[in-house]
Amino acid sequence: MMFWATVVASGIATYVMRSLPLAVTARGTAPVWLRRYLDALPIAIIAALAGAGVAVPDGQPTGGAEIGAALVVGAVAAWRRNLLFAVIAGVIAVAVLRSVGL
Amino acid sequence: MTPSRAAIVEGWPIFVTAVVVGIAFGLTARQSGLTVIETSAMSVIVFAGAAQFVMVDLLRTGAPAPLIVLTVVLLNARHLLMAAAIRPFIGKASLAPRVGLAYILTDEAFALGVGWFRRGHRDLTYFAVFGGLMWAFWNAGTLLGAIFGADLVDPQRYGIDFAITAVFVAIVVIGVRHRADAVIAFVAVVVAAGLRLAGASAVAVVVAGALAPLLSFALRERRE
Repeated sequence: MMFWATVVASGIATYVMRSLPLAVTARGTAPVWLRRYLDALPIAIIAALAGAGVAVPDGQPTGGAEIGAALVVGAVAAWRRNLLFAVIAGVIAVAVLRSVGL
Repeated sequence: MTPSRAAIVEGWPIFVTAVVVGIAFGLTARQSGLTVIETSAMSVIVFAGAAQFVMVDLLRTGAPAPLIVLTVVLLNARHLLMAAAIRPFIGKASLAPRVGLAYILTDEAFALGVGWFRRGHRDLTYFAVFGGLMWAFWNAGTLLGAIFGADLVDPQRYGIDFAITAVFVAIVVIGVRHRADAVIAFVAVVVAAGLRLAGASAVAVVVAGALAPLLSFALRERRE
């Protein structure tokens, strides 16, 4: 019983956080400062996800393979402007770097 | 390319990852004593990868329910920010699609969706197709891991586990439009990485993501 109560409460809490900013109906236009903040927000969140992922994937200290691979991803993304190429290059890079012991 | 096709072409490395990590989750949950039904119910009801792993760990160690729910709230508070950030792109849609799409708002769907919107598209199809397939693959992986368990894949092999992080890095690099973006992204990376290394994993993304955009005020004023 405790299991189901925990899972349902966690599911509801997660859904409320995902939907609340989308569910409320805003009237009029947002003030300039808020628009400026929201405009900068997407890149900041994705960069934070990237930083957290590179720092300690799966909670384990790393030998730097992820940092090296992230640099490869960044270089390929800047060069080709193509998401798919960059991701494939990153996966190959991290596999190679890990196989040499990083 | 149609939005649906683009979502599949660009999304497939992440779908592979979702299946593999889903299998790992199914396996971990079963080893922690959950049934197949309970394991799958978590992936359907909560549908949040990192939070589910943490929940299983807390359940196994007998943590009280309020503590588990509070931990999930902290871990998933970043979704509040994400929903606020995509609001300007999908705010024109009516209420039903908005609250429906909220259910499939994951880190990955957010990142790819923003990448799509930033290329000037305004349709919701890309986000819906990617998010829906992500849901399907995550749940299929969970079920596979819960039923077949042990002798399936190890995500760290072949570097598959890195695909999701690679997506985030690539979207930031492709999405940066001017110097202020680059500075904000750099600060967010450093703050999130620092918090995670300092042991504050649960709130690393939400804190770094909420604080870094504040720099836009300082950066904008200096330039003007």
